[in-house]
Amino acid sequence: MIKHHPTQDLLVNHANGNLPLSMAMAVSAHCSLCDTCKEQLAQLTAQAADLVLAQPKTQNVISGEDTNSNQYEHEGTKTFATQNATLDIEAMMERIMAQPVATNIPNNAPLAVQIKQQHYTVPSAFRQHLTRPWQILGKVSRMRFDVDEMGTRASLLHIDAQGEIPQHTHKGYELTLLLAGEFSDLNGNYVPGDFIMLDGQHQHSPKTVNGCLCYTVLDAPLHFTKGISKLLNPIGELIY
Amino acid sequence: MENIQSQSRQNRYHGPITSLTNAAMDNDTPAHTNLESQVDALAMLILQVADNRDKAAFGQLFQYFMPKIRAFGLQRLNQQGLAMDLVQETMTSVWTKAHLYNAEKGAVTTWVFTIMRNQCFDMLRRVQHNREDTFGDDIWPLCDATSEYDIQPDHKLTAQLLKHLDALPLAQKQVVQGIYMQELTQQELADALKVPIGTIKSRLRLGLEKLKSFLEIHND
Repeated sequence: MIKHHPTQDLLVNHANGNLPLSMAMAVSAHCSLCDTCKEQLAQLTAQAADLVLAQPKTQNVISGEDTNSNQYEHEGTKTFATQNATLDIEAMMERIMAQPVATNIPNNAPLAVQIKQQHYTVPSAFRQHLTRPWQILGKVSRMRFDVDEMGTRASLLHIDAQGEIPQHTHKGYELTLLLAGEFSDLNGNYVPGDFIMLDGQHQHSPKTVNGCLCYTVLDAPLHFTKGISKLLNPIGELIY
Repeated sequence: MENIQSQSRQNRYHGPITSLTNAAMDNDTPAHTNLESQVDALAMLILQVADNRDKAAFGQLFQYFMPKIRAFGLQRLNQQGLAMDLVQETMTSVWTKAHLYNAEKGAVTTWVFTIMRNQCFDMLRRVQHNREDTFGDDIWPLCDATSEYDIQPDHKLTAQLLKHLDALPLAQKQVVQGIYMQELTQQELADALKVPIGTIKSRLRLGLEKLKSFLEIHND
């Protein structure tokens, strides 16, 4: 059973489209794997939609309507501007209604991913990112996505059976979404769908018995703490 | 249509559309009608657009949603022109994808919000990151993955193909995987790999020819 979920705050922000791409993909992928959060997200989206798009019960004089019309504040230009705006709107409607019915409906069925002769399926949120090359270092393989968000790094991470990542802490937060397989750390075992958010305070050393595929988001490079693997720090950049 | 145009002349850009529920419902509901009948009225209009490409119905939807989308766009994108782009893109999807709306899954407002938020997400990335990518609809799908759009794959053939995929040169393998496993369009793939679309086409052709020759050998 999935025990680790995004916080309410993350879900609300996701419903409103406020998260950066790397995190939006994580919450979306979690919701494809977790019916509880999927249901909750649907409700939060309906609430957000009500706020923005439902007809207000009473027309508020100090609402956005009024401030928006500031551009017409000069009486003399008002009629002219309004007529122009109306013409623009009509032209826009004509343009829109000249469009045919959309036939290429995006399919959001899970997608196949193959690494080291293993076949996995991943949520369709990753659809346009899966063409990146895998970088393989021993038991650890990484496919780094091109999300272009400052220092944030988003990747698919595959660890072979019996593999582990050297113990490390994080400078910033680290999000791991387990997509397939299993892994465990000091805090217990994880199943596909588990959404594990750790901040810079935590140290952990994930191990997997049968192998796993994860989606990870890091906003700072991993920072290794355990003895000899300190030497690996420059490689941390490479692995994730 | 006549009716709509004269309406839009009276109402400014952002004028309240009090006539919506009256026009859409066949009774004497007052303009400040409750939310429930508003929901029904919008759903009926969407159905008319989906089933009959009804321009008058679309006109009413446009009048209803335009000021709200514009206000949302102004708040998020902070620019008049971008806000109107958001209106245009969102309402274009409402017109071209009305048949995807499923009343059992939720209100029209939720569906239009989904379209608008996804579009706005992509526009924000365009403004902030100068990226032309469109990820919104992948992150928040407009409709559930349903079997009616799924083509049942031939599992035996797929397994056989996958076996041979690894034998392809990397460049061809990427393209075949992208198109057939990740369901990208050729353009999306070209953008992702940063090569011209012609290169994608030729790699795909070469890759498929090679796969075909593998299968022919092994089917003998």
